[in-house]
Amino acid sequence: MNLPHWHLLLNHVPTVGFGGGLALFFLALITREEALQRESLRIVVLVALISIPVYLTGVSAGRLIEGLPGVSDVRIRIHGDAALLAFVVMELTGAVAWLALWQARRFRRPLPSTVAAVVLLAVASFGLMARAAYIGGMIHHPELISAADSAPQETAWLTNASVKSLVLDTTSVWPTAETIHFIGLALSFGVVLVLNLRILGLMKSIAFSDLHRLLPWGLMGFGINLVSGMLFFIAIPEQYDTNVAFQWKMLLLTLMGVNLLYFTSAEDPWTAGSGVDAPISAKVFAASAILLWSGVVFFGRMLPYIGGSF
Amino acid sequence: MMGLLEAIEASGISTWVRESRSLFAYPMVLTLHTFGLAIIVGSSAVVDLRLLGVGAHIPLKPLKALFPIMWIGFGVNAFSGLLLLARAATTVGISGVFWTKLALIALSMWVLVRIKHRVFDGESIDARPIPNDARLLAFASILLWAAAITAGRLMAYIGASRPEALIGLVIR
Repeated sequence: MNLPHWHLLLNHVPTVGFGGGLALFFLALITREEALQRESLRIVVLVALISIPVYLTGVSAGRLIEGLPGVSDVRIRIHGDAALLAFVVMELTGAVAWLALWQARRFRRPLPSTVAAVVLLAVASFGLMARAAYIGGMIHHPELISAADSAPQETAWLTNASVKSLVLDTTSVWPTAETIHFIGLALSFGVVLVLNLRILGLMKSIAFSDLHRLLPWGLMGFGINLVSGMLFFIAIPEQYDTNVAFQWKMLLLTLMGVNLLYFTSAEDPWTAGSGVDAPISAKVFAASAILLWSGVVFFGRMLPYIGGSF
Repeated sequence: MMGLLEAIEASGISTWVRESRSLFAYPMVLTLHTFGLAIIVGSSAVVDLRLLGVGAHIPLKPLKALFPIMWIGFGVNAFSGLLLLARAATTVGISGVFWTKLALIALSMWVLVRIKHRVFDGESIDARPIPNDARLLAFASILLWAAAITAGRLMAYIGASRPEALIGLVIR
């Protein structure tokens, strides 16, 4: 199974999977079921996480089938740009849904303004993802005449090409993004380290619920690095997508996101009050968080040496 | 001075870090340097944020346990940093960016020690209010670490201690 196959498999998650999550979310709003709402928010965050490999593998898929008979190169480009816009809005949706889950722990229920923001962003994400999927579905169907082929593109300010030229045309952008990437790394690792050392038994007099307040800072580091990292990838995707160190890094990163979701909203770590030993399940997640995070840094640093990226 | 730097660069360990094709040579040393950075900057950032009011419910006393961890990070980076310096002593040793970075790290560590002394030493840590100068130190600590990371990253571009990064900017 190669990267385009992964793209064809995973690309149903942001549309079909997200549609399911969105339906549950609205059902929860109507029935006022708080547990169901949390469940649907978790689905939204997971879909936002899986959208990362969907976008990345899509770039590889496009590069591989470009120029093949029966394949429309124009539609590949339009699909790629539609997917980029959908991806950006989807990640924003995921971040706000995450915030709602965090608030559900912190204040017992998410703030109404956060829920409203999730509603708006989720509807926008769903529409944009459906549009990207629709154009993507026509890449290999030249018999379908579409408005997309002749649609004016000059109005689009956020395209793969515009990001690429932003990063490559100014010499200072790459070093600046690298620096920010390292600061984000230190910030997210600090939160991960302190939180997980507590769960594993060091600094046991700190209640987990207090450290839980640091999580938005950890997510901020994660977000800073997603943005700066995507700048590198979109600028020169061909040096990353076939790099095995990059593939490992992305896999571990996605799992790291799931791990963060666990500490944000699961019940088990929350039971660790001041001086209370955390349950074994939480300890397993804590140990795996440190390992996953170390793996992300290791493979990130190895990008130039295992796969020849810089 | 140059003679000394040349001697360092010609030494066995320096040649190994520079020329070995093994992943355990330069790549692993560089990875260790990144881990050390994350440990020391990450844990001091948490302490700084706490002193600046984030998670004000978190008791200070247990956070004292983070200081030895920060020193472990510092040790890892002093060790890996020396190897990285030896690898390219004649270029790094005369690089202004490098010496700026070292000065920033020295300042950061001094601030760290000051914070430990001002807030975490003595009895009944949580009973007394956080002194204003400690908040100032915490703020300075965040800025200094960010500046040190920036200088460190810029070494790959300005001092050219990592030529592939420069090559990368040239090929489009």
